[in-house]
Amino acid sequence: MFARLSKHSAYYASLIVILTLGFLLAYNSSNRSFQIGAVIVTTFFYVLWGIMHHLINHDLNVKIVIEYILIGLFGLTIIFFLLSTNGNY
Amino acid sequence: MKDFFLYLFIPKESNNHRAKILHHTNLFLTIIFLLLTSFFIQKLRVTFPSVLGVKAEISLQELLTLTNKERQNNGIAPLAFNDKLTDAAAKKADDMFEYDYWAHNSPSGKTPWVFIKSSGYKYVYAGENLARGFSTTEDVIKAWMTSSAGHRENMLSSNYQDVGFAVKLGKLNGEETVLIVEELGNLNIPIARNKTAEIATASQTQAAVKNAHSQNREPFINSLSFSSNINMMIILIFIFVLLLDMIIIEKKKVMRFVGHNADHILYLMLIMALVGILKGVII
Repeated sequence: MFARLSKHSAYYASLIVILTLGFLLAYNSSNRSFQIGAVIVTTFFYVLWGIMHHLINHDLNVKIVIEYILIGLFGLTIIFFLLSTNGNY
Repeated sequence: MKDFFLYLFIPKESNNHRAKILHHTNLFLTIIFLLLTSFFIQKLRVTFPSVLGVKAEISLQELLTLTNKERQNNGIAPLAFNDKLTDAAAKKADDMFEYDYWAHNSPSGKTPWVFIKSSGYKYVYAGENLARGFSTTEDVIKAWMTSSAGHRENMLSSNYQDVGFAVKLGKLNGEETVLIVEELGNLNIPIARNKTAEIATASQTQAAVKNAHSQNREPFINSLSFSSNINMMIILIFIFVLLLDMIIIEKKKVMRFVGHNADHILYLMLIMALVGILKGVII
């Protein structure tokens, strides 16, 4: 497992950069629309990056694409759930 | 029961070596479940605010103390608590609830300065910070201090010498919320002041705190922490299942064509961090 993770270290490093940038954008803004936008854009790049990684590894198929989209939608739903139930959107 | 949970959370032959909860159908059903639950909770908040409502632990004393702490940390003289500005802040909060708006200027064009002047405070300089949906004083101050939209400048401006706060519970757009209004002002043209400027007396502030708190009634469940806790719990379950799935499959050396669990874990950690920071709103 660790061997595979280290083999893909450059990929994971770039993913961490994308996610960290998304977090910093949301954290440093007081504008709720901008924060939501940052979450959506970060999710989009996460899905895109996942697909690209599998494409580079030659193991991409439709099921994998759907999985990344579903995990992305799951994350966005959590944020929607949070903001709609506490009235802070 | 035990078999069902193992089937749901542990990858094995019966679930095609992938925890059932991570299958596409189940992920989709989880998303639908979350959407329906959020709709239900939203309705519950509006219909039964005494069951699921807003409970905020924000005190005027703490707002003043933390504001002055930030000012002192930046070498600026502390603000004095002012009854007239507190009255203006309360009027502004009432006006926002009455005319159902969330802005510095009312739909009829009433500016913050109208409330400050009508309270009898003849300012030379004045400013206003607004916040809503926060549950602690620390979060409000942190949001204002990290804002790049002028809130921080207001908090740290040496143009102000007085401050008034209002913390009010009411309904905006049909949703129960806590509004925090900060009115800042100066009666004179600012001159360099030393840091020992007199600040609010304890009795003044405590009376105002009592007044603000008397408008809050405690709901059975606090909606602000409730939705955060539910979301944190759901994300943690998924992270745990993904981690477990990754370890077991790696150990069994099973060949599968699925997404990388490590990617999903990293992404869900970001969502978890966002759940922690997306609290109230400021303008």
